[in-house]
Amino acid sequence: MPTISLTQSLLISLIQCVLVVVFIFVVVPLTVFAERKVLGYLQQRLGSTRIAGSHTGLTGVLNRGMWTLGKVPVFSYFRGLPGLVGDVLKMLLKEDIVPAKADKFVFWIAPAISFVASVVVFATISFVPGTFFTFPHWVPVLGGLPVTGGIADVNVGLLWILGMATVGVYGIVLAGWASNSKYPLLGGLRSAAQMVSYEVPLTLSLLVPVLISGSLKFSEMSKAMALDVPIWAVFPQLFGFLIYLTCGFAETNRVPFDMPEAENELVAGFHTEYSGMKFGFFYLAEYVNMTVVSAMAAGFFLGGSWLLPFGLQGVINPYLTWLPSWLLTLLCEPHAAFFALKIIFLLFVFIWVRGTIPRYRYDQVMAVAWKYLIPLTLVNLVLAAAVRLAM
Amino acid sequence: MKKLLRTLIPFDIAKGLSITGTYFVKVFLTANRAKVKQHVVSEYPEVPAPLEPRFRGRVQLTLDEVGDPKCVCCNACAKACPTGVITIEGGKKEGRKTRIPTRWDYEMERCVFCGYCVEACSFDAIKLNDQFELAAYDREDFSLGLHGAHNVLEPSPVGKFSYSDEA
Repeated sequence: MPTISLTQSLLISLIQCVLVVVFIFVVVPLTVFAERKVLGYLQQRLGSTRIAGSHTGLTGVLNRGMWTLGKVPVFSYFRGLPGLVGDVLKMLLKEDIVPAKADKFVFWIAPAISFVASVVVFATISFVPGTFFTFPHWVPVLGGLPVTGGIADVNVGLLWILGMATVGVYGIVLAGWASNSKYPLLGGLRSAAQMVSYEVPLTLSLLVPVLISGSLKFSEMSKAMALDVPIWAVFPQLFGFLIYLTCGFAETNRVPFDMPEAENELVAGFHTEYSGMKFGFFYLAEYVNMTVVSAMAAGFFLGGSWLLPFGLQGVINPYLTWLPSWLLTLLCEPHAAFFALKIIFLLFVFIWVRGTIPRYRYDQVMAVAWKYLIPLTLVNLVLAAAVRLAM
Repeated sequence: MKKLLRTLIPFDIAKGLSITGTYFVKVFLTANRAKVKQHVVSEYPEVPAPLEPRFRGRVQLTLDEVGDPKCVCCNACAKACPTGVITIEGGKKEGRKTRIPTRWDYEMERCVFCGYCVEACSFDAIKLNDQFELAAYDREDFSLGLHGAHNVLEPSPVGKFSYSDEA
């Protein structure tokens, strides 16, 4: 491994940051679009099929041509996709209203905190263990240098993730407080209570991978959870995964637990008074948070960048040595594509659950967290400890 | 015990998820084909909306074998009309035993599409056709007579904004 100068390492980090940001800003708008379509399909609708009028927009013209030919448009799945551009334009161009009695500075900084706290978590998430790709030799400064799969795969990665995820609560609470209005305040307070409650089972359910892998580093944990666990470790992982996912829904304020927003009670919750791009940041932060929760679930429970979930990869790998080498490389080696696919599947699950389960009442949300999830996670932790002992 | 198990193991959630998942797969696989429609919503402006047989659309006069309106100008419909949108004046025509309308005015603006005129008519001279895309840019287009582009003898021309019949 060649020695790397400071400039080179900074440049590589910059490239990794850009890659991650590109990934986020490709996945997030597509999730927004997928949410409309998938929710529609789940409820036997078609989702968004047009943009403004049926005559405007690229797909509008294409679809119209196909209808004129008497055919159902082949672009059917993507009808309404340009509506995303309209959404972004609307957010950027809309008048940014600040309430007269609002705390201006806090009102301004709350969406920034919310958004930054959600994006920054990606720093410690490694998409693939080891080298993601190596620069070819003709590249001027960075020729021959490897780019690792994560920006900063630090030894206390999980701690960083959980810490920054908690900072995200500040964004919501401060937004509710700074709006100086009753509904946002109630939404903010509810979200504070809910997210603090669900931090506990979330962290406890993440202690299972910590216990079994014996590390806090994201790449090591995902590797240990994919390869080095015995077959009976599936059970604590499976329970842990379900509990983690439940808490993840609550942490991202998604529909079965969307207390802070609660459209039918609190207008729009903490972002009632927000408009324009400030609202856009909250909106983006929600989807980035979904991606983060999905990435963590994929890394810790679904086998990370390996193919099979719940540690089954390590169990099955010894029996697959007879496969041809290219298939062996595909099935048994880590790929960033598998990680991305798992994230996308989990994002689909987020939308699927939203389209299925109605909202819980506020006391039920709290009861689920304190009465059921925390005892269950403790039991699960004991189970994981037994597995660890037997390993 | 059963209740506790039900709480701990999310059967009901799994059931709900399977239902919506089935819908998703069905609609996802057929949304593009549209041969067997799985979605409950119709793609209305593109695909013409199916109408019930008793749908009450716009008033239209039925024609006899010669091509003249069957109307004999008895004014039964005009009397039955609750909003009084029908005005009829009768005249004569060579070779026809009954009277023939020389003026048959129908103010669609005030019509409530109740169908009383059809019930009152003893000669089957009026029907309510299946047109419902009746919006127009010009107020004059709602005053229908025996002549002009919008008349009571044939269906209204459909506005340019709807391309259901463009194909």
